[in-house]
Order: sequence, then structure tokens, then C-alpha cells
Amino acid sequence: MSADRSQQVALAEGLARQEQVGPAVEACYAALRLDASQPHAHALLAELMLAGDFYDEAIAAATRAIELDPDCAPAYLALGLAYDRRGGMWDQSILVWHELAEVVPDLVTAHVQLGEAFSLAAFDEEAIESWRRALELDPAEARAMYNLAVAALKREGVPTALPGFRKAGELDPSQDELFFDLADIGPLPRKLPDPAKVADDRDSRLHAAGVLARAEDYFGAAELVRAQLDASPDDADALALSAYMYLKQEAGNEAMACAVRAVMVDRTSVTGMYALGVAYAKRPGLNRHAARVFSALAAAVPEHPMPHVLLAESMMGLQRYSQAKAAYRHAVELDPACVRARFGLAAVLLTENRHAEAAWEIRRAAYYDTRRQGLFWELYDEYVEGGE
Amino acid sequence: MATNRRSGRASKRTASAKPVNAADAREDAVESERPSAPAAPPVPRRNAAFPLGVDYYPIDAEISSWDDWYARDPEPDFAVFAAARMSLVRVFISWKYLEQQVGQYDEEALQRFERVVAAARDHGLQLIVTFFADDRFSELNDVPWGKRRDPRNDSYLIQREVSLVQRIVNRYRAETAVFAWEAGNEAFLSGFTSGRELEEWAATMREAIREVDPDRPVLVGCDPETLFRASGVDARGAIDESELAVSHVTAPYQAYMAEGPVVSGPATYLDSFLLRSARRDLPVIVDGAGVTSLDYSPAQEAAYIRTVLYSAIMNRGGGALLRRFRDMDTERREPYFRDPYETLVGVADIDGVPKPSLAEVGRFARVAARLDMRRYTLAPERTGVLIPAERYDPPPSMAGLFDPRATLQAYISAKEAHLPVEVLREGDELGEMSVLVVPSAARLLPGTWRELTAFVQGGGSLVVSYGGGDADPTVRELFGIEFLGDYGRRRELTCRVAQPDALGRLEPFGCILDIPHFALLGGGGATVVATDAKGSPLVTLNSFGTGRAVFLAAPIERALAQGDAWAAPPAVRAMLRTIYGALASAAGAALPLACDSPQVEIALFSGEDDDILLLLNHAPEKLTAQLVAERSVATVADVRGGAAATVDGTAFGVPLAPNGAAALRIRWS
Repeated sequence: MSADRSQQVALAEGLARQEQVGPAVEACYAALRLDASQPHAHALLAELMLAGDFYDEAIAAATRAIELDPDCAPAYLALGLAYDRRGGMWDQSILVWHELAEVVPDLVTAHVQLGEAFSLAAFDEEAIESWRRALELDPAEARAMYNLAVAALKREGVPTALPGFRKAGELDPSQDELFFDLADIGPLPRKLPDPAKVADDRDSRLHAAGVLARAEDYFGAAELVRAQLDASPDDADALALSAYMYLKQEAGNEAMACAVRAVMVDRTSVTGMYALGVAYAKRPGLNRHAARVFSALAAAVPEHPMPHVLLAESMMGLQRYSQAKAAYRHAVELDPACVRARFGLAAVLLTENRHAEAAWEIRRAAYYDTRRQGLFWELYDEYVEGGE
Repeated sequence: MATNRRSGRASKRTASAKPVNAADAREDAVESERPSAPAAPPVPRRNAAFPLGVDYYPIDAEISSWDDWYARDPEPDFAVFAAARMSLVRVFISWKYLEQQVGQYDEEALQRFERVVAAARDHGLQLIVTFFADDRFSELNDVPWGKRRDPRNDSYLIQREVSLVQRIVNRYRAETAVFAWEAGNEAFLSGFTSGRELEEWAATMREAIREVDPDRPVLVGCDPETLFRASGVDARGAIDESELAVSHVTAPYQAYMAEGPVVSGPATYLDSFLLRSARRDLPVIVDGAGVTSLDYSPAQEAAYIRTVLYSAIMNRGGGALLRRFRDMDTERREPYFRDPYETLVGVADIDGVPKPSLAEVGRFARVAARLDMRRYTLAPERTGVLIPAERYDPPPSMAGLFDPRATLQAYISAKEAHLPVEVLREGDELGEMSVLVVPSAARLLPGTWRELTAFVQGGGSLVVSYGGGDADPTVRELFGIEFLGDYGRRRELTCRVAQPDALGRLEPFGCILDIPHFALLGGGGATVVATDAKGSPLVTLNSFGTGRAVFLAAPIERALAQGDAWAAPPAVRAMLRTIYGALASAAGAALPLACDSPQVEIALFSGEDDDILLLLNHAPEKLTAQLVAERSVATVADVRGGAAATVDGTAFGVPLAPNGAAALRIRWS
């Protein structure tokens, strides 16, 4: 069930979408003064309060929305997130995520959050079950994988958990983002370049190849890279790009060969360093090499959080936890929203038996991940459509 | 500016010192320990001016019934308190148990209470007797004949309350083991629906007590800030009539202000922030010291207790009461719903076996005992952080939600600059303040702008950060800038230094920080100290009258609070503390020593022959704080004794453990 929303609510909604928090809150209150029984307005208010980290207010507004309409899925989302972010309300949170999973069965985040609430309430088996369910729904759900890795760490220690962290890292798109940042390849254009029509110069070829690689058109990209390497076999950028593409296709030996060559040609090639480090990190027993390369990469691009994360992960592999912690902390300082660094930091803290701080890092990871997803508006739009 | 904070309180100031003086007398009676050196004077076991105590709840197991009220023999527990050098115990009256039938006071209940009083007397402890409390377990006020009427506003029940109070006070008015009477605790007081209702009830209870006992302190046991957050009730009027105040970090307030690890970041400053904001010219006891959840390890609980206790004594606290003695033995059931006034976690486990926290209390007491407040005076606070009056605006105004957080961030920055800092509310007297910080306020009262103008004109230094909306016309004259409008939200903050050394050593930076507003400023005579990436002024400095006015073009304190306060960009934090510190140094409001570690809080107690320096590490990592004094230091020694280290210079280092503290006696050359 969903009720029609008033014009005042629509106004509040528009302001909220523009992140005009103050005016949107005022518009919600104005709408509620006219009609306090509009679940839309309460749900919006909950989302706005959640955006400002005012959890008690968000809980009150979302609860009211659910009282008015028990099918108000966006209100369940806001309520569950408010409980989780506020902390100490895991039991209530479990109930809400259960409800939401029933209202919207294919909502992956509900299962991930349910797992985290179970975990914090010390129901470990149920937590693992929830994360597995999330991965069934979306095999690329990185946070579920990170959580499973953390659960493995708690039970069996770092060596068993490390592959899980690596796998989660691969699911996490931020690592690829680093490569394309380093290669200066921006967001994908609407129309992808046609390899046959790319201008016959180095920069055009490499840029087009990078764009195609980003779009996962590795055949088209390889054609252009090959053309460039035919023209100039010692082009470090082209070698690094081909190493990246080999990595994406799980061809580790070829990737390592290209990356080594790229770094030999140009010791300052950051894309080459990246590819070489990742190639080393994928091979068991080469963490020491990976750490050296990522250390150089972190020094070359100190403002980017991901090289510090990669360095930290290599340090974890070497069981140098204090160095790993320092690198993770640096990554978090550079980007508090770096989910991968947060989970890594949690893992290090767990090795030091600092469970409360580890739990906090996992909660912050969830905080940023759920903020980034913008799920509220998806559910809200569906809810509005359902009623009109 | 109006004078709420201090008006009419001059006469009370003397009265308010009474508990402390009373404690002095008590001190003479307590056992003393003597250091090994034969000629040394005896060292008191406790600090009379900073009593430590614990909330002693009537039941310790959830399966217990209301009539198990203080059924346990308190003697062994009180022996533990005395051994831990505590001097106060707060106990809670059960109206339900005492007056099971109207007008008839149960003799067994009175005997049990007598046993508690006797145990206190026997161990040299004093009681704070709380009449109307809610501990969420013992049904303390659910008198069966009350017919579910509200004891806060039902006239008949209030009559009965007066009767109960007078009976107890009369019985113990000559009892030396009673330190103070408390009308109600915060959980009970949070049930009031208006400040006026609370004020009337508190006045009735106070009069009832005063009729029988004109001397002992009477208090209303709530923190005005946390109570307002929880219930919207402004308790300041009721508290102003008391002789003691309390500050109290509740679980929901912590979730609102500083949700996160309790041994790092803003959570470690929250207790002292509330203590400062609760002072209102009264001695403040830090109430409910301790963690609010079972999430932490015993070592973290101890580290948090250490932080709270040292913060309290370094910020003019009048004592501290621990949240609970024994852990509550909860029922083995799920789900467990957390209580807003969480009192589950104690300093001993459910069997009464002390946890590391209790040992921490003993260690702190040993240090505090060496700090004789009659000989040493804390450096005066001449820097103030202002909580705007808009903080009390109800929704849909967001100021009431944003302002406390922004003020906490400004407070932390001032602490990181090692400034003695006070928390003021708009309307308070500025008194001896030399530097005033108004963080990210959207709106100030018109009278406040006049007061601020006069403050700067008279030589004060002012920092105001833009809080959004239109700027007050005063801004043009006071800050020497032309406000051209709000540029709106930004995702990054960039600082380019235009005038090096104009406000300390500002460093240029660029970082990710969600800035909700950015004031576009035009020239108006002020010096542009720093700009953003596009050259728009970010920090301006204007000389006005004999003072200086700094304007920050963005609500930076609010941005820090609304971002990740545990991962705030270090460069932004450094900018704030550099600006605050530079203004305070120039105004003579800084300490006479500098420290290279911002996470180390410093308090300097000045004496005639020597000074005592307290240092508290707010970080969970060990470090060595490098201190540089303005004059030459001869020796430094631990206040607890031991050999003094010779410095003969201005610089020395102090190693600090994670969340560690040090208390040093400094002799100057």
C-alpha cells in the first residue's frame, strides 16, 4: 500500500534530492502541519535526519512512517540504517532488516546489514548465513565478501582470511578506479571509440585503448595497444595497460612480464608499478615484492588512498600488522569513505584483540557504503510509483 | 549580552564552595599515608576538593525484585570503596519500599537504609542520598497506592514526596555520613515535560529539605545539556537554585555527539565538554563516569575511566561519581534492548571482583591526593567557545541539532591548541575572556552582535565562522568584509595562505571535506590571510578598536562534526588550532608552555614554589610529548614522589602511554 503524496511533500522531496537539508526539513514539517498522516513526509524526514547523522530523530520519523504504512520500504531502510549507525540497537536492527527483506526480498543491502547486525549481536552463524544470501543475490557484493573474510579471520586467523580480503578487493571497483586515475582515463564517454577510427598517433591510441579497457572491451583495447607496441616496443604506458588487461583476464604470468618490462623501461611509471604490484600480490609468496612495489607507488602518488590500502594488504600478508595498520590509517585519513581500508583496519585491529574498535571500523564501512549506494531514493521512487 | 550564567549567583558562589570546605574537614579525619622519607609531611589519601565516588544501585541482578532494595550487606562493598580512596557513595531511596502503605514507613526499609548509612560512617565515606530516581529495575517510585499518577505533577503524590523527604532528612540531619541530598536523578527528571514544571517540583523538594536541614547541599541530578537533548526540557532554572551541579554523558547523548570508540577522537573530550557547559558558576560533579555498553574490553573501560577522571580534574570538576559498582547481572535472554540511562557496566564484575577500572580509580586518587587545590591554582580560562542560543530552537530549525556538535569540535580544537578553554552559552557574561570562538552559528541574537562588537572594541579577539544564510550587518564593520552571498555546498576545502604568519604558521592544503556553505566575501578593509583555490577569502583578519576579529568563510567546525570526526582531515584540524592558538597567544590567554602533540591535553596548576602539570593523552597510541616552556625549568618530578629529573632548560619530553596521563611537579630555574 502507498498513499498519494501532497504537493508539499513533493516540494520537500525535490529539495531533499538537491541535498538542501534545511529547506527540505522545513518543507517536511510544513507538509506534516497540513496532514500529519503522510508516510512519505515522515520517511523523507527520516532520510534527511539520517543524512545529518541525527539518529534518534531519524528513528522517530521512520517509526511513524511505518506505523502509518507498514509497507513503507524506504522508511524501513532509514530505520534500519539509523539503528545500525547509532549503535547499541542491534536487536531492533535485526527485526527491521528482517522486515525489509520480506518487503523487498531482492534487496541485497538488507541481507548485508542483517548480517552485520547479527554479528554485532553475537549471532555469528546467522550473520554468515545472511552474507552468503547477499552473495547469492549479487555475487559482486564486496561488503558481504569483506564481512565473510572478517568472520574467517575471527575463527581461523589471518592466513585463512587473506584470500577472502583479496577476493573482496577484486569485487570492489575502487581498485580499477585507481588504475584509470593513474592512467588519466576519465569516466566512460557515451560513445565508445571505434578502434578502426582512432587517429594514428600514440596519445590517441593509448587513450582510446584505456577507454575501451575501462569498458571491458579488451579485444578492442588490445588491438590498439598492440599497434602502439608495434610502433614503439618500449612504451611503458602501453606495456602497463596490457599488463592491466592480462590481470583482468587472470593471466598472471603475462601480466607480470609486461609490468616488469614497463617498470624496467620507465622506473617512474605509476601504471606499471600498479600492475606489477597487483601481479605480485596475486601470487602466493610474493608479498614482500608486492609490498616494495606498492611502497614505491604510495610514495609516487601519496594523495591517493588506494596504494596505501594495497601496501597495507601486502603487509598483512607478511604479518607485519603494525605497518599494515599505519598504511590503512593513512588511507582512511585520505579518504574516510574508503570501505576497503576500513575493513582492512578492522582486520588488523582484530589481530590485536581490539574488538570494539574493529566493530567500529566495520560500522563506518557500512556507513559510507550505504551512503554511496543511495538506496533510499530507489525505494522511495518505487514506493511512490506503487501508490500512483 | 545578558547575564544569565552569572547573574544573581555571586552570593551562591560562597555557598557553593561549602561542600568542598566540608570535605576539607572530612579530610582531616581520614587515614593518612606517609611517604618513606621521614621528614616529609603526611600525604592525604584523597583530594578533598575532588572527591571520588560511585553510584551504588539497590539491586545488582535483573531477577531481583523491588523488595530486594539494598538487601545485600553493603559493608564489604563500602570497604572496597574506601580502599580505592573513594569518599562519596550515591544511594537511591525506594519510595515504593519505604511507603508501601500511605503514610506508613516500613521499619524494615528504614533499618536497611540505616545499615547503608552505618557502613558509610564506618568507612569514612559520605552519601549523596537521591530521593526520586529511576534505575529501570527496582521500581523505586511505583508506589502501589499511586494509581499510576505521575509523581512529577500530581499534587497529592507531591505532598507524599515532601513527607518522605522530610522524614528521611529529619532522621539524618545530624548524620555526618550524609554529604548531600539529591532531589532526583536524570532518568526520573527526564519525565518532566517542561522546564517550569521541573523548576516548581525541584523548588518544592528543596524547600522541604531546607525546612529540616538548612546546611547540606541540595542538588538536581541532571545535566542541563543531555536532559534538554533527551526531553526538550531546559533544566537550567532548577539547577541554578542548587549548590552543586552534575554533568552526565548519557548513552543517547554520546550516540548523538560522539558515536564511536570511547578511547579516541571526540568521545574522549565529551565528558569535559559537558562538565564545562554545566558549570554555571557551581561546582560540578562528573556523574556516571564509565562506559555505557558492554562492547569494550576491561582495558578499554579502564582507559576511558582514566580519561574521564583526568579530564574532570583538569577542567575544574568538583569530583566524579562512577557509573556503577557491580556489573548488572542481566537475565540470559535475547533480545536485550539498551536503556537510555545505561547503568549496566560497573567497575567490578557481578561477583564484586574489581576490574582494571577500579584499580585505575585508585591510581588516579593517589595522584589527585597530591594536588592540593589550596596551594595550586588552575591557569585561568580566557578563551571561550560559545554555544549559540539557537541551540534551543525546536525543529524544523536544524541549528538545535548542528550547534552542539560544532561547539564540541571548536572545543576540541582549542584543547588541541593547549588552551585553557571555557564553554559559554549565548547570554552568559564574557567576564575575563580574551578570546571568543563562535563556531558555525547560523544566527546570533541582535544583542549578542552588539556585545561582540564591544568585546572586540575593548581588546578582545573574536573568531566567527560562517554558518549559512545571510550575514548580520554588523559583520561588515566588525570583520571588515563585504558579504556577497552563500556560494553553497562544496565537497573539497582548499586553503592557500596569502599572509604567512599573520595568524600563526598556517599551512596550505587541499582535502576532501563536505562544506555545507561558503561565504563569498568582498573587500572591506580586512586582511585576507588565506583564500580558497579560486582566490576567494577563506580566513580574514580585521583590527577593530583595540581588538582583532577573524572571519572563517565556511562552517568548518560544523563540517568537521558532520564529517567523520574520527578521520577528520588533519590539515583542517591544524588550521583551526593554529588560528585559535595564535589569537590566544597574542592575547596572553595561552599557557606559558607549548606542546608538539595536539592530542595531549595540558592543565597547569600554579603554586608559589612550584607548579603541577597534568598531561592527558587522548590518543590510543603511545607518544612522547615535547614541551617547551617560556622560562627555564630546573627540575621535573612525578607528583607521587621519586627522584626529580634535572632539565636546566626550556624543553623536555614526557612519554605517555596510550590514553595515558602524567602528573609532574615543575620547579622553575
